[in-house]
Amino acid sequence: MSLRISTSSKYAVLISLALTAVTVKAEISQTQWMKLNKASINEHVLPGYQRLALASKALEQTTADLCQNLTDTDLKRTRSRFNDMLNAWQGIQHVQFGPIEVLMRSYTIQFWPDKKNLTSKQLNTVLNNAEPATLTPDYFQTASIAVKGLPAMERILFAEQPLQALKQQKFRCDFLHAISSHLEMQTQNTLNEWKLFKKEFEYTSSEEGAYESAQEATIDLMKAQVEPLEVIRDLKLLRPLGKTQKAKPRRLENWRSRNALLNIQTNIKSLHHLFSGAKDYSLFALLSDHGAIDLAEGIEQQFVALEALLAQVPAPLSHHINEPAVREQLLLITQGISLLHKSLDKSMSTLELQLGFNSRDGD
Amino acid sequence: MMGINRRQFTLLLGCGLVSPNLLAKSQSPLFASAAQTSPEGYALKVISKQGRSLINHQLPARAHHVAKHPHQPLLAAVGRRPETFIDVINYETGLLSKRIESSPGQHFYGHAIYSNDGRWLITTENEIQSGQGLIVIRDCGNDYRVIKQFSSYGIGPHELKLTADGKTLVVANGGILTNPGQGREKLNLDSMQPSLAYIDLQSGRLTEQIFMPAQLHQLSIRHFDINDRGRVVIALQYQGAKSDDVPLIAFHSSGDKNLSLVKAPAAINLAMKQYCGSARFDHSGTTAAVSSPRGDLVTFWNAQDGSFLTALKSRDGCGLAATHVPDEFLISTGRGHCYRFNVKTGLKEKLTLRLSSRTAWDNHLTLL
Repeated sequence: MSLRISTSSKYAVLISLALTAVTVKAEISQTQWMKLNKASINEHVLPGYQRLALASKALEQTTADLCQNLTDTDLKRTRSRFNDMLNAWQGIQHVQFGPIEVLMRSYTIQFWPDKKNLTSKQLNTVLNNAEPATLTPDYFQTASIAVKGLPAMERILFAEQPLQALKQQKFRCDFLHAISSHLEMQTQNTLNEWKLFKKEFEYTSSEEGAYESAQEATIDLMKAQVEPLEVIRDLKLLRPLGKTQKAKPRRLENWRSRNALLNIQTNIKSLHHLFSGAKDYSLFALLSDHGAIDLAEGIEQQFVALEALLAQVPAPLSHHINEPAVREQLLLITQGISLLHKSLDKSMSTLELQLGFNSRDGD
Repeated sequence: MMGINRRQFTLLLGCGLVSPNLLAKSQSPLFASAAQTSPEGYALKVISKQGRSLINHQLPARAHHVAKHPHQPLLAAVGRRPETFIDVINYETGLLSKRIESSPGQHFYGHAIYSNDGRWLITTENEIQSGQGLIVIRDCGNDYRVIKQFSSYGIGPHELKLTADGKTLVVANGGILTNPGQGREKLNLDSMQPSLAYIDLQSGRLTEQIFMPAQLHQLSIRHFDINDRGRVVIALQYQGAKSDDVPLIAFHSSGDKNLSLVKAPAAINLAMKQYCGSARFDHSGTTAAVSSPRGDLVTFWNAQDGSFLTALKSRDGCGLAATHVPDEFLISTGRGHCYRFNVKTGLKEKLTLRLSSRTAWDNHLTLL
């Protein structure tokens, strides 16, 4: 077999090796990664789950009250607590690692988008059958995720004439309460488990721990920082906007409770907080400490600009999404999200963090 | 060591003329893999048993699987979908032996194998216009000229293997239609029909084909391994709703009417995130390993009855290879690490790699 390589391509190999050697950045110590991890967990992740657990407890209590007194006031209060819990969830939804991964908790809390309309179909079946067994924790353990989370509650609480329907069928409210109890337990367990899991962010290296090094733990946190942006852009904005001029308001997240816009505002605000909000240390501070202050400030400004743009969009989004001016605003926001994503990607390569190679772009 | 004997080598050492590169060549190779070595840079790398980089061959684009010639020091690094190159490297000299281009109107899917006698290089390819899968056979002794091509009997053929006797090709038809004009976009998720095809190498005739059951038609059959007894282990990738909880591993033996679909224990099956990247049997063919890079874990299975054995945490771990020790595997990761794990003893050892640049190991790992 003939060898077909020219001398020049042998040099090409050498030159490219030399080039890679020059671009190596000053190394960040495991102690610094750990500092970032601890600050992010203590000041961002744990308070987020704390809020979620508290909000779901409050929702469970008002739901119990509602089933005792089916009044307008109780319905209003329950709806308001529902909005609070949804908002708390939107503020911590981006964290997709650790205890929230267990038992599909993340999907259990909010199964969305529901492209096959499973929530409606399965919830109707449960309500029509009205089996007492479907109110028990045993049932919830194995029940479909489509009937045991916030979307199922939203359908009951924000139906047309919800009070009338609840009065007509006691089981309907009992099932609503059973969902809220299940959510309370899941969010409380998530918080409790996080109080133990947080130890995994307090070492620089470990043989037995969940992570081999502090930097590996940082990668999980940075996935939470970067990856949700695509979901917000593609599923929460572009999918309802549709490719043609005609938008599809019912593709908006939580359009029934009119929370679609607030959800996105909360998502961005929370990602912003993860980026620069913690006092002890943050990605912003780490970038600044490593000569990438321009990049850090650029990202900060992108967050601020996105929040300002989002503040100008009229709510409820489901009523306005078909207005040409709103469509234009939303498309501008999707572009802003793409640019922010690019900047964050750049910060990852500056810090030499590989968020995922085979996991993100395998074949 | 090529072209230089031990005495000459000692002499060279004595004269201080030995370059580090030549020193590296005195080390025996452990594995080969495609890798990303910079944001836009891709390479075929060969790593020695001492963890040194012996070969760092720059590739024109991202590659996928590396096929090893059965008795010559040749490696074929196959461009991943929709690339059109295969670089054949002599891993003793580090030189490019041949850059193969796919025929006009066709592209590679990232996988190739050598025939058992080493005469042919066999690839899975896409006939772009029709979208139909092809098996293409090239003559290694005649400048890799295409001597024959025939249907893969499905869309999106991916990994391919030969049975122990070298006569039957087994092909994973992933079922997913893509067209280079639309990048890597999946065009037929609603109608995809993945299958495992057994094809007579000599005639190109289909001898057996097993389809995914209708309700699981979105479970893509992409990667698999076959042992000496013809047992096949398949790593599946699900294209349906993210919240569906489906089996992600399948077994098959020629003659079985159906695939034997298996699930890991509930929590682990969920953690696998509907995606498996690579499947390999161990040296004895009794234990199978399947990587789940999205779930940061590798699961291990009993090849015969398909029972779950254990799982191992491995961040962005994807590449798998059996070592010469039964029950022992090498695992490579997108974070540049490589581990040796023994399923029987439970011992996990991180290999010390001395790499000059950041390296992300790509999907597959080839033991040398």
